[in-house]
Amino acid sequence: MDRFKLRKAEPKDVPDILRLIKELAKYEDMEDQVILTEKDLLEDGFGDHPFYHCIVAEVPSEKQSNNAPVVIGFAMYYFTYDPWIGKLLYLEDFFVMEEYRGFGIGSEILKLLSHTAVKTRCSSMHFIVAEGNQASIEFYKRRGAADLSLEEGWRLFKIDKSSLLKMSSGPEE
Amino acid sequence: MHFKVRAAAKEDCKDISRMIMELAVYENMADQVKTSHEDLERDGFSPNPFYECLIAEVPDEHKTKDGYTVVGYALYFYTYSTWKGRSVYMEDLYVMPDFRGKGIGTGLMAKVAQVGVEKQCVRLQLSVLEWNKPSLDFYIAKGAEDLTAKEGWHFLRFHGQTLDTLAKEAPKD
Repeated sequence: MDRFKLRKAEPKDVPDILRLIKELAKYEDMEDQVILTEKDLLEDGFGDHPFYHCIVAEVPSEKQSNNAPVVIGFAMYYFTYDPWIGKLLYLEDFFVMEEYRGFGIGSEILKLLSHTAVKTRCSSMHFIVAEGNQASIEFYKRRGAADLSLEEGWRLFKIDKSSLLKMSSGPEE
Repeated sequence: MHFKVRAAAKEDCKDISRMIMELAVYENMADQVKTSHEDLERDGFSPNPFYECLIAEVPDEHKTKDGYTVVGYALYFYTYSTWKGRSVYMEDLYVMPDFRGKGIGTGLMAKVAQVGVEKQCVRLQLSVLEWNKPSLDFYIAKGAEDLTAKEGWHFLRFHGQTLDTLAKEAPKD
């Protein structure tokens, strides 16, 4: 695999991005949890207020036989904020199709993301990994990532929509 | 005690910066705060803001001994889940010690929840240090679920030198 290209995602990539999101979810045995549609991705990534940015990895189409897809990997990120140090880059999803792994594509994506972080004045790149996903944890730790849950004791919490609605309709002070 | 929760304006950044520092001093980490109120102004009030902030203020007759009427804040931003779509992440929630126990924290958080619901967010996320029992109890009472305990999610980051090292190896444009 000597020729692959990384570039910013465009609206036309939305069907491929959704396909890869579902492949990643399938890999994690959670395909039925993906409720996002192409319409959501288009509006949320390429509308007036983008909620995410995306990089795609593609291989030239002349190298593909029959109907094999051209976009074979992606990384989705957005900017977050730490009141002590300012802007951060948050890596939400990162996936390369199985048959294209082991060629350094994932490594190159991570380097490009780091370069983007530094260029946009971010002091850190954050992300989460499930502790059962040893392959990913090793991949990141080999490249210098620190586990803040282990080192500092951070735990991630979520509050679902029903609880949000309950909170937001509480008594006015 | 009567209080008001409202969206922060650019002029509030000095108060927000003051409270960020109060929280850091309380956690014995004052030397880690690198942001100034000018950074907060630039990052929160330009055409492309990286965070939003709500503040809690009390009437003049309840102002602090130093004369402040702004006594709490909630700083949050929007994130994105490839499975579920738009989310809101609450980065900081702080109420000055003398003003706790009066529903101000709850009021701030309820407003963040309301903003999130209006923006069609499906959930709110936040993180808490595992030893911070008062905060853990506060959030769990509002319906928060510990995803680190339940699903094994860990926070990882590339910071400082490790980020720069990765960035230097990025593919050329």
